Amino acid sequence: MDGMTQRQVIQVSTVFFLLAGFHARGSAEEDQCFVCHSLLEDRPSVLYQSDVHRRSGISCSGCHGGDSSSDDMEQAMSEQSGFRSIPAGDEISAVCARCHSDPDAMKPFGANLPTDQFSLIRGSVHGGGSVKGGESLIQCNTCHGAHGIVRVKDKRSPVHPLNVVATCAGCHSNPAYMRTYNPSLPVDQREKYRTSVHGEKNASGDAKAAECVSCHGGHEILRAEDVRSSVYPTNVPGTCATCHGNSDYMAEYPIPTDQLETYSGSVHGQALLGKHDLAAPACNDCHGNHAATPPGIESISNVCGTCHALNADLFSKSPHKAAFDEMGLPECETCHGNHGIVAATDQLIGVSEDAVCSQCHAEDLNPAGYQFAMHISSLIDSLETEEARGTALVDDAENKGMEVGDALFRLRDVRQARFETRTIIHSFNQEECTAVFDKGFAAASFVSGEATRAIDEYYFRRIGFGISTVIITILAIALYLTIRRIERRQKEMLHT
Amino acid sequence: MTGGQPSPSTPKKDGSIWFRAYTWIDERVQLRTLVDFLGKKYVPVHSHSIWYYFGGVSLFLFIIQVLTGILLLLYYKGSEELAFESIQFIMSKVEFGWLIRSIHSWAANLFILAAMIHMFSVFFERAYRKPREITWVTGMLMFFLALGFGFSGYLLPWNELAFFATKVGTDIAGALPLIGEPLLVFLRSGEDVTGATLTRFFGFHVAVFPGIFSVLLGIHLILVQRQGMSEPFGEEGEYGKGKKTMPFFPNFLLRDLLLWLLVLNLIALLAVFFPWELGEKADPLASAPAGIKPEWYFMFMFQTLKYIPAHIGPFEGEQLGVLFFSAAGALWLIIPFLDRKSKIGQKSRLLTYAGIFIVLYIILFTIIGWMA
Repeated sequence: MDGMTQRQVIQVSTVFFLLAGFHARGSAEEDQCFVCHSLLEDRPSVLYQSDVHRRSGISCSGCHGGDSSSDDMEQAMSEQSGFRSIPAGDEISAVCARCHSDPDAMKPFGANLPTDQFSLIRGSVHGGGSVKGGESLIQCNTCHGAHGIVRVKDKRSPVHPLNVVATCAGCHSNPAYMRTYNPSLPVDQREKYRTSVHGEKNASGDAKAAECVSCHGGHEILRAEDVRSSVYPTNVPGTCATCHGNSDYMAEYPIPTDQLETYSGSVHGQALLGKHDLAAPACNDCHGNHAATPPGIESISNVCGTCHALNADLFSKSPHKAAFDEMGLPECETCHGNHGIVAATDQLIGVSEDAVCSQCHAEDLNPAGYQFAMHISSLIDSLETEEARGTALVDDAENKGMEVGDALFRLRDVRQARFETRTIIHSFNQEECTAVFDKGFAAASFVSGEATRAIDEYYFRRIGFGISTVIITILAIALYLTIRRIERRQKEMLHT
Repeated sequence: MTGGQPSPSTPKKDGSIWFRAYTWIDERVQLRTLVDFLGKKYVPVHSHSIWYYFGGVSLFLFIIQVLTGILLLLYYKGSEELAFESIQFIMSKVEFGWLIRSIHSWAANLFILAAMIHMFSVFFERAYRKPREITWVTGMLMFFLALGFGFSGYLLPWNELAFFATKVGTDIAGALPLIGEPLLVFLRSGEDVTGATLTRFFGFHVAVFPGIFSVLLGIHLILVQRQGMSEPFGEEGEYGKGKKTMPFFPNFLLRDLLLWLLVLNLIALLAVFFPWELGEKADPLASAPAGIKPEWYFMFMFQTLKYIPAHIGPFEGEQLGVLFFSAAGALWLIIPFLDRKSKIGQKSRLLTYAGIFIVLYIILFTIIGWMA
């Protein structure tokens, strides 16, 4: 007997005789496959005891074929009875799909059971071909297992929220395996996740905390670069808000649930969701992806500085950095806000009611800061006025048909200087701020000078034209009189 | 004034500086011969004499073009990177540069207008009839060159409108059968309008065209002087037999000068009140702006091509259109040899009606094109 040990031969023979002895007591409806294999105590039959399919009355033959009513092994596992042995490769998913993609077949087990898993997974990132060739990358049993399949809500299920991270990590934390499919994809998601708030809660047994499936989906997982993906930048806020925007779901957690609402109205939200500007940050750009966690007070400038590098750098060198840290103020957020951040305007600076400086720098308590804010505010106003004046003069000159290309070009410098003032203000250093303002004032002065000169030139041309017309008219009259005189003389000569 | 007028006198024989200068030149180049020739030259006076002045006005405008063109050359840089900026510099930084450029641009348009009027007046008067066929041909060749001056000069500022107008214009030339493709490549110095096209057009504009034009102009003027002014049908006759004439020098020449002064003032007015705009610098990667139009003197042809269906039988409509205008231009060039009636002293009504139709057609389609 090739391939069978002596011990196995004895076991099979024992089972055969036992079955033969108890044949008269065996029920016709009883799953004879399971009866026999249970006696063998093989792993599949042990696992299948608790399998959701067995509990629903599905015999081994449901997947493996054969005649489960026959206690004759030869007959039960014969080709005539449709026995197909152990399915392999795509056969596995095809066997599952035979029932799970058939609404009629699934209806008796629950009216709301989905039947689109097979088509979803074929269209997902996992639906591609395996490196082995000829079969799909994953099969149903890759995640759900076989024989011991239980409901997702069952804590023993490998896809239960508390287990799914480990299940996904089975492949995604395996560098050697992942390299064969997507070498650029990180393999540290599980480690990062375990450091996140979500990961910590999940590890402590909180099944409500987000895990892989919560954000990426189950069967329908797509690449993050795919615009249909739930983690595509423009879809991320909505994905996060599935939980974070649900006040009932989040009731037991002491955090607000209006982030999506405030973010949508913010300058970032309008850019990302309104203009589809992918450079604008979504939730994960500030909070992290797998390691999602609220930024610490002292690190907010670093988070914002990922994009607003100059502002963050200037701020970190400014006297405000130490003061904010000491007072426990969240850096950028103190003046600009967080989720509902709006486009910064010049009105933020100064000592008016709309300004943020005066919230800390009261005239009597902090006169130096108060004076600085007032001074910078007046410089901003002056530069704005100078820009408006220059623009008006250039427009006037252009409307008069004058060439003011240089002034138009330098007008950009004024505008640029105004933008720079909004950055340099984060240094809160009078000398550095004044240098930028001076650059803007110099450009504005050039623009106004050039435009004024062009307008003066416009009137000079008209005066010049008037003078030249007078001269030409005099010359024309003189010429006309000369012609008359010559012709009169010619007539006189003819008559004489 | 009747015939037999005294010839213009040479400077008085005294010791004045003018007389001494005249004598000095005369001793070397026989100036007296030329003076005597001019003294005997008369211009017919009749109801159509006004048309004689448009030749002179065209000449005056050409002289302005040459002078202002030379001044622009002092600052213009004919390259893709610098052409626009150099014109901008001329317009804003060079003393009176704006005036020179505006005069050059306005005078160019007035030159073509004056030449057109001159051409049609000659046509309707049949002044091209024997013995002035060569004068007509040289004049027509100069007119075609003037269009070439206009087309090549339009691109030189390298602005957006000029760039795309040149693209469209050379595309049309490229539609010609057989020679279209090589002609397009020759004009553009490649497949597309690029900096190489600008350099080529600059060369045409300031060297090739002026050289050929000067030779033609010389022949044209010598012929006009040798053959005198043509007279309308029925008014031919010999001087001194009751026919009204005036001496070319100084009477006609001074009248010419008077008109030139008025034209000069008109150009100054246009240059000051309607300075020639520069627009935006050409960006070959940008899409063509809406409403690209050629200069007004190409407008009637451009507009006609727009009305021609894409396909006429087995031929492409645009090809047929370009061929038609080329053939019409060639016929117009040799009209003195085709008009047999004028050779026997008769005026062909058919040609007159054809001429009126052409003028009305040009005016109408130019207006439609301008308003479109």
